[in-house]
Amino acid sequence: MYMKPTEQLFAEHSEQHKAGHTSRQNEAFDSLKIETSKHEGQISHDLSNVPQEQVFEHLLGELGDHHGLYWGPYHLTDLPHMIYTNGNEFYYYPTSKALIDGGKFTFDKKNQIISTETESKPWFDLSITNLVFYQWAVMLLLFFFFFIAGRKAKKSKGAAPKGLHNLLETVIVYIRDEVVMQNVGSKKVGERLMPYFLGLFFFILGANLLGLFPGMHTYTGAIGVTAALAITAFIVINLTAIRESGIKAWFHHLLGGAPAWLAPIMVPIEIVGLFTKPFALTVRLFANMTAGHVILLSLVGLILFFKSLIWAPIAVPFSVFIYFLELLVAFLQAYIFTLLTAVFIGLAIGDHAKEEHAHH
Amino acid sequence: MGELAKAMAYLAAGLGVGITVFGVGSGIGRLGAAALEAASRQPEAAGDARTTMIIAAALIEGAALFAIIVCILLAFK
Repeated sequence: MYMKPTEQLFAEHSEQHKAGHTSRQNEAFDSLKIETSKHEGQISHDLSNVPQEQVFEHLLGELGDHHGLYWGPYHLTDLPHMIYTNGNEFYYYPTSKALIDGGKFTFDKKNQIISTETESKPWFDLSITNLVFYQWAVMLLLFFFFFIAGRKAKKSKGAAPKGLHNLLETVIVYIRDEVVMQNVGSKKVGERLMPYFLGLFFFILGANLLGLFPGMHTYTGAIGVTAALAITAFIVINLTAIRESGIKAWFHHLLGGAPAWLAPIMVPIEIVGLFTKPFALTVRLFANMTAGHVILLSLVGLILFFKSLIWAPIAVPFSVFIYFLELLVAFLQAYIFTLLTAVFIGLAIGDHAKEEHAHH
Repeated sequence: MGELAKAMAYLAAGLGVGITVFGVGSGIGRLGAAALEAASRQPEAAGDARTTMIIAAALIEGAALFAIIVCILLAFK
């Protein structure tokens, strides 16, 4: 989100045209803007002297993950690279410059890390990028909030909750009653899986809301993160189904309720359907988050592209409208991911849950 | 890619997204209308109708997002 720094970027840009006129505020921050690890091919985060045809490329290049913490054009710190190659070697470089100086890896033209010897990507790139840092930050923040709320809940012992405790409890009770219990179907499984659903919901919600602050990135806008969430959901769905109904019943589900002689047709369809659902979860979350940011960056980038303030009265109100829409989409997408996972678990447990209730 | 191929790719991406959004818009619009009608006929089913509407809208939107991904791949590769 580059709403606030964009004005500053524009101020710097127009200053390039006025000879010898720098504002004192920019002078104070100039030292922060010096990139300690700039190398060729790396996208410059200082957008003040970008040629006109590359403005959008640079703006949209901000959406990926970077190996340093940046707040707009200001460089806060470098983040380390940690690479694990398939020769079972582990390399740690504190900055990108150290990576190049180390000699074993370089950046190729598209800014990916490749090994100097084999010209191929390393096996396992464990670098701490800014997206990883934001995930840890949100995890710590959530842990902190829930710890405080839980301590207050234990101390008050049934009195009416207030403040942060109240807010979190409202959301948790809503997820438990409306989302999980109704859609999963069986209370036993629902109670057991509540921590997973709560963690999922607040992780995605934290990601989406963090991306709305100026200068922060949404980590659910990276398809790696959403794919990981969907793979986790896939594992939870199938393991719950196997644990509840046994593995034979899971194979019977692949038939889909059709008679046995239709199996050669039904089984491939059902297997494809088994994998489509997490794939849809991934793409839905990723595209919703990234699309909002792309629209916002493009609208504001119009002002920078045409280098005139005429576009501002058109672009900025649109941007504000899209910003509020993105706020809505943030909550909605977190809710929908959780809801659909609950629905899929309910479908996977299926009628067997009702049989179990009949037994006890 | 040649210049003509690149131009056609951009055109295809734009047209694809346009047609997709047309389909999704009319589909989800009908869905909203059906949910509202159900809620007005039977006010106590309004909560269920709302939940089902949101689930169905999310699934339809997922199909639209498949189309968006394909068009983005077309436009940038």
